[in-house]
Amino acid sequence: MSNKNLYIFLKQTLKREFSRMVSLPIYLVGTFGVMLFCFIFFVTLLENGMPDKMPVGIVDLDQSWVSRALVRNLDATQQAKVVMHLGSYTEARREMQKGNIYAFLVIRKNFESDAVAGRKPTITFYVNDGYLVAGSLLMKDITYLSELGSGALKQAILRKKGVAEDRIMAEVQPIYVDAHMLGNPWTNYGIYLSNILLPGVMQLMIIMMTVFVIGVELKEKTSHEWLKTANNNMFVALTGKLLPYTLIFGLLGLFSNVLLYRHLHFPMNSSIGWMFLATILFVVAYQAIGIFIIGIIPVLRDGVALAAFYGLLGFTFAGFTFPIEQMVNNIQIFSFLFPIRYYFKIYANQALMGAPIQYSIVYFIAMIVFLALPFFVFMRLKSGAIKQNYPIK
Amino acid sequence: MNESNKNNIFLQFISNLRATIYIFIKEFKWIFKDRGVLIIIIVAPLVYPLLYPYLYKNETAIDVPIAVVDNSNTTRSAELTRALDATMDLKVAEKLDNLEQAKTELYKGNIHGILYIPSDFNKRIVLKDQAFVSMYSDMSSFLYYRAMVLAVNYATLDMGEKIKIERLNDAGVSGYDAEVSAKPIENEGTILYNPGMGFSSFLLMAVLILMIHQTLVFGIGMAAGAEREDNPNNELIMSSTSRGGLFRVVLGRALSYFAVYLFWSAFILLIVPRIFNLPHIGDFQTMLYFVVPFLLATIFFSMTLSVFNMQRETQMILLVFFSLILLFLSGISWPQYNMSGFWRVFSYLFPSTFGIQGFIKTNTMGASASEIKFETVGLWMQTLIYFITTSILYYREIKKNEKITTIP
Repeated sequence: MSNKNLYIFLKQTLKREFSRMVSLPIYLVGTFGVMLFCFIFFVTLLENGMPDKMPVGIVDLDQSWVSRALVRNLDATQQAKVVMHLGSYTEARREMQKGNIYAFLVIRKNFESDAVAGRKPTITFYVNDGYLVAGSLLMKDITYLSELGSGALKQAILRKKGVAEDRIMAEVQPIYVDAHMLGNPWTNYGIYLSNILLPGVMQLMIIMMTVFVIGVELKEKTSHEWLKTANNNMFVALTGKLLPYTLIFGLLGLFSNVLLYRHLHFPMNSSIGWMFLATILFVVAYQAIGIFIIGIIPVLRDGVALAAFYGLLGFTFAGFTFPIEQMVNNIQIFSFLFPIRYYFKIYANQALMGAPIQYSIVYFIAMIVFLALPFFVFMRLKSGAIKQNYPIK
Repeated sequence: MNESNKNNIFLQFISNLRATIYIFIKEFKWIFKDRGVLIIIIVAPLVYPLLYPYLYKNETAIDVPIAVVDNSNTTRSAELTRALDATMDLKVAEKLDNLEQAKTELYKGNIHGILYIPSDFNKRIVLKDQAFVSMYSDMSSFLYYRAMVLAVNYATLDMGEKIKIERLNDAGVSGYDAEVSAKPIENEGTILYNPGMGFSSFLLMAVLILMIHQTLVFGIGMAAGAEREDNPNNELIMSSTSRGGLFRVVLGRALSYFAVYLFWSAFILLIVPRIFNLPHIGDFQTMLYFVVPFLLATIFFSMTLSVFNMQRETQMILLVFFSLILLFLSGISWPQYNMSGFWRVFSYLFPSTFGIQGFIKTNTMGASASEIKFETVGLWMQTLIYFITTSILYYREIKKNEKITTIP
């Protein structure tokens, strides 16, 4: 068969797929609909970039100028806002259990007099780490503040003595930590999340839709017609079927890159071109996995269940929730089976850290390796499409 | 007359009850008959709750490898390096000569943080100036960042205390007086409900509730889709099933899922946290208070949604991603009060929002019934609303069938 004929059959198959795409809402909802919803969701979910001014409570049993100064300082930190004054520890704990406050500070009786007399009074703070992100962020602020509780007292004394301001800081905090957060994605937690969750949702939808568009032909026994349109050439049949989705998801992926790195100014310390390349490879790698899944289980219902299982695991094995290196040893191996892992590595290296590209090449290659998967199920899928011998219920 | 009337009502009640039980049993058998439904309702609730805690078995990041670039090369800087290495969070994997080398190691993924100690570090301390160290952190994971910040803060503050005391000693103040002068106020932090600051103790609690919620949505959705596919006129409810009754179908179906999921709730919410040693300080009775409305609300919510599912797989393909959205809407990761108003209201449409908050409050934080009133009331309201919507939609389906059967 000449190349020209191949092209004609490919065009026919493409045409057939386009008319299928507009026949039922699932095709457009499963591609554009879901992704657009997610774009809007993650960009608008958070009113502020960082969870600032988290509600905390105060149990001030001393009611002295020192304790009040401490409360004022706490209110002035970035993360905390004193929303209620409570009479006792028990009362504060109940408010915490209701979810009204994430932390509280207990200042005991005689706090001021003990401090002045040098009896080292204690400030006790309680942080609810049932909500880990909120808890950890507050923990940082409150620890710092309590350290400065001592500091504030000393500062006042030294100022009275007329000690120069930079000397005072050297007295109060002999070692200062200058923190560099590489890429600093934490200035906006929402965008930080979208950067890793959007690819997560996308991989899920790519596998689901790939499994669906092939599986539904088998289920509805239209696979004969599909193959016939492609002149019984499985390669043409698959290309014609999946190319439209490669384009759609590819464009959505590029759009999300532009949205995040250009429009929302998420840190991009390398060329955005590498993220474009990673996105395209990401799309085709997941399409290959989709073909593989419906190839080994050519029953739509079961294929969808397996695709959902694998796709949801992708969120875990990308490594942005819990670092892969910190997982139990024998689980770590499985992360190799998820292209999103490599995509995430490229993102961390390129966008966040701005590393030279040579450190990411291996991850690009790893994504290309997934393209071999369809060849393992090629014949099985073809014979399934011809014989239609799999149960549909 | 009166007597027979009473009898009639009684007989009617018995007949309705029997019809309900009949549908209950029929639907129950259905779950085990259809392989797709079986996978979602029976296999998934068994496998997922055992798999995920295993994946996140290591609760927190320990001994995260970092590099130290020590240009000061003094006893003091070596002491700081040792102090970092001694923390649970960090491990000083490499000692390098310059920042460029360290960055290369970071790019290769061999280390996840750098501490840079400049050459004038010790000199400044001796001269009583403020000394600086620089910390570079891999931001690709929240846990790396947290390990680095907590350990470096701890080590430098600790060393700062020692320096202050040394200075006071030099000035002739010693012993307890020096301690008091260096740190006039003591502080003590207590982490409540998740003392290990564990990741799975936090995330999995929400995920366990989502497993119940999502398998119900997809299971009931697939069962409805299957029914429509298999029935001759794509009916959701065959007239042979309803035989004119509405509530027997709604209640019979709901009850069969309720029975199965009461069992799964016991497994997922009571047994799994104990197997994996996740937080479990909840009071049994309090948990029952909110689990019952949570299951009912979720079941009626799923039944309402399922009416629109025309094929087995459609709902699952289009809604699996929503599990993630529900996780964020619940306010576990991002504080709810910090969410924009629209999404907060939107989140109250889903039983999972109240379910996750209620479960964390009772199971993890040991809240009592009065402290989860907001959640339980919300769930009962959802139960009522979704019961009504289900009934209306089912009623329309039954009416549609009557038309089909009367027109020959």
